[in-house]
Order: sequence, then C-alpha cells, then structure tokens
Amino acid sequence: MSQEIAIQAENISKVFHITEDNHNTVKGRLFNIFNPPRSKAIMALKHMSFEVRKGECIGLIGRNGSGKSTLTRILAGVYPTDSGYIQINGTTMLMNLGVGMSHELTARENVYVSSSVMGMKIKEVDAIFDEIIAFAEIEGFVDTKIKFFSSGMVARLAFSIAVKAGADIMFLDEIFAVGDAKFQDKAIKVFESSWIQGRTVILVSHSMEVIKKYCTRAAFLKHGELIYYGDTEKAIDLYMQDNQ
Amino acid sequence: MIYFSTNRAERLWLLAKIEFKLRYYENKLGLLWALIKPITDITIYYIAFNVVIKQNIPSFVAYLFSGLILWNFFLESTTGTVQILRTKKFLYEYNNMQKIDIYISTLLANSIGLFFNICMFFAYFFLIDKEGDNLHLAVFSNYIYLIPVFFNLFLLSIAFSLVLSTLYVFMHDIHQIWQVVAGLFFILTPIVFKTEDYLRALPVFAELNPMAGIIINFRRIVLQNTSPDFYLLMLDLGYAMFLFLLGLFLLKRIGSKAAEKL
Repeated sequence: MSQEIAIQAENISKVFHITEDNHNTVKGRLFNIFNPPRSKAIMALKHMSFEVRKGECIGLIGRNGSGKSTLTRILAGVYPTDSGYIQINGTTMLMNLGVGMSHELTARENVYVSSSVMGMKIKEVDAIFDEIIAFAEIEGFVDTKIKFFSSGMVARLAFSIAVKAGADIMFLDEIFAVGDAKFQDKAIKVFESSWIQGRTVILVSHSMEVIKKYCTRAAFLKHGELIYYGDTEKAIDLYMQDNQ
Repeated sequence: MIYFSTNRAERLWLLAKIEFKLRYYENKLGLLWALIKPITDITIYYIAFNVVIKQNIPSFVAYLFSGLILWNFFLESTTGTVQILRTKKFLYEYNNMQKIDIYISTLLANSIGLFFNICMFFAYFFLIDKEGDNLHLAVFSNYIYLIPVFFNLFLLSIAFSLVLSTLYVFMHDIHQIWQVVAGLFFILTPIVFKTEDYLRALPVFAELNPMAGIIINFRRIVLQNTSPDFYLLMLDLGYAMFLFLLGLFLLKRIGSKAAEKL
C-alpha cells in the first residue's frame, strides 16, 4: 500500500437546514419578508478529520442517519462542506443505485456519458463498450431508455461502468445490497479480483462480513460524529455494541 | 488549451449531440423535424404577410424570420434551462464534471438548431426573396461579422441561463416570472417592428436591451449588406460579459448547493 494520500479531510462539517414551510418561491419570500421561515438545523457531520492513503479500502459503518452517505457525497464533491477543507488526489466516482445515470437516456448513451465524465475518450469507450454491456447482462437492451429497466438492471449497468471505467477513488454506497444473488456474487468476485488493486475504495455497508473481508481500516460514525477510525475489527465491535 | 488536452471538448460535443437528439428524435420525423419547423415558419409568414396582408415592406418575411430565429434561440436557451440544475443533476453528481460544461453543452445543442434555422433563412432569402437576388458576392465579406454577433448571442444566453437557473435553487417560481419578463422583453426588441420605428419610439432600449442590438446587427449584416454597428456590438458584449461573470459567481456560490437543495 502506498503512503501517498488519496483523501485528506480537515475539520469538515455539514449542517442541513430543513425549513418547515415552503418559502422556495419569490412570492413566498416577498409575502413572508417579516416572517422568515422557521428552519431546523441538523448537524449531519460534526468536525471530522481523517486521511485515506492511496490503495486503501476504507469501510464506513454506522446506524441509519449516522452520516455515512452525507460523508461520501461530500468527499465525492456532490455537497460542499460548511467548514474545513478536503483534498482529493485523483478522479472520483460515487456509486449507488441510480446516481450518475439519466433515466431519459439509453443504456448506450449512459455508458458513453458516464465513461466520458470519468475522463475516457470516445475511442477508449468504443473499445470497452461491449465488455460493459456483457458484464451488465443487458445485451438485448442497449438502445432502450433505462427508465424502462428494472432496478436490478440499472444497478448492474452502473456497477459495470464503475468496474470497466472506474476512477482512482471509488465511493461505493451499499452496492452489495442491490441486485439478485447472482449479481451480488459477481460484485464480490470483482472485489476479489485484481480490479481493486491500486484503487482507493470507500465502502459503505451494513454487512459487517463484507467490511471485515475487504477493508483495511474502518470508520465508525454515530450521529454525524466520527467515533472511531482505525482497526476494522474494533470499528465493527463498536458498531455491534451500538446496535444492542 | 484544457478543452483539447483532456477529453472535455469531446465530452461537450457528446452531450450536445445527445441533447439535440433527445429534442428532435423523440418523434417519428426525427431530424427532419429540425428542418421542417423553420420551413413551416417561413411558409406561414410568407402567406400571412405577402399573400394575405400584402404589406409593402420589402423582404418583410426575411426581416421577421431573421429576428425570430435569434429570439427563439435566446428564449429556448433561457426558459429551457431554468431547471437545468435539477434535470441534469445526474451529470454533476460526479466530482469530475464541471457544472459550466452542462450549460455549454445544452447551448451547443441549441446552436445546432439555430444553424438549421439560419440555413433555411439563407435558402429563402437567396432563392425566393427578391431582395436577396440583389446581393453581390462582395458583400459576403461582411459575413465574417456574424461570428462576433453569434458569440455575443451565445454569451448573453448562457449568462441569463446561469443567473436564472441558480436563482431557481431558492426561488422555484422564477420560471413563471421569467416567462412574463421574456414576454415584455419581446415587445422591447425590434422583432416585429421596423428597426427605424423602434429606434424612433424606443431609442434608449436599443442601448439598454442587448437582444435589440444583437438582432439589429444581425440584420445589418445579412439583410443590408453592411458591417454591424460597432458601438452596439461592444456595448452588448459588455452586458453579456458582465452578466456572464455574475452568472459564474452565482453558480459558484449558489450552484454548489444545488445537489442538496433540489
């Protein structure tokens, strides 16, 4: 494993402001100028600092609402942070069901758009296109809009693009929780193959078996706070205790 | 050049092609619709103004069509992109994709449509309209000025698109408000009126309304065989640049929160 840093996060935090009333219109704002909307601040992430080395597979664990998905979205650049800074060295890809895919586009178009966004040239995509389709097992639906796909087909396509055109840093949010048993086996085989070598992976999962098997280190989150970051076994123990 | 050292230029063109295809290939006529639309527009104007009304203004159909194609590009690029940060969310949920590229590719798709319209305009003007016959090849040198005029239109449209779509993050009814404002803009732009009448009645708006300057200059080049009004051109480029910088600022400040707010 490299000593180079792939992700460095310093004192990052995130607050979501949930407004009780709908003031998201010009009319609403004008008519309520002296009656500002009551908003509730939810501290989704509380001042976290950590670093991830290149080639590591980090497990993110915690109960629902602990901030795992928010953290991956912040690290992937989807959400801005409210404090601190993040340094990312390399291309990133966030993968969970449906993210990064347009349901108005066909499978072919989604493959080209997603791969192009990952930095691949059209000729490079041409070369791996058939492999992506074959891996996703959607040969008969290449020019069908993915809004007509089942959720399993969309998940397979997204995973296939990630495997074939994947970025340096992959954020995999519950990818083992979707698809049928055959697809899950396939996903596990990919993880056990050389694909993972050299990549930095942030893996969000509720399956402690998966975390234990593939993660070099793990982070345990609770109520938006980074309670523990380090040894995978210890992080899992803390998670199990929290679930009791 | 970052656009060519990476795959960025290629990606912009890929997204523009897909956007254009989505717009025209969804119906049975496909790409043919992109050509049929301007042909039917010209036919309607021809019948209305040359056959039915029989007005005596020379080349009125060409005059009207030249204004409308630029106006429709502006309208489509602004009204059609107010919700772009919502509809194209799937594209910026990656770290690698810059949001400005989403706007550029959408306007490139609109530019393909504009290109078809301009082709139809020239086909009508040179083949059917009698005024077009009077043009000599020498005047084609003025066509080089179409480049800054089109750049002006593109920059202005993307600037409005940036401002409106970022405001949409916090004000969802900006779409309806803009439709009303755009209707007012239409009246304050010399599209249907003769330029001389417009300049006599609303001289200030020729300078205040950048779309007026763009349309006046476009017509000067293609209909009157003259170079553009450089004062108006520089003024409108200044407006477009100012609004574009404002749009970029808003995109950086507000657009960064689009994923969580929308």
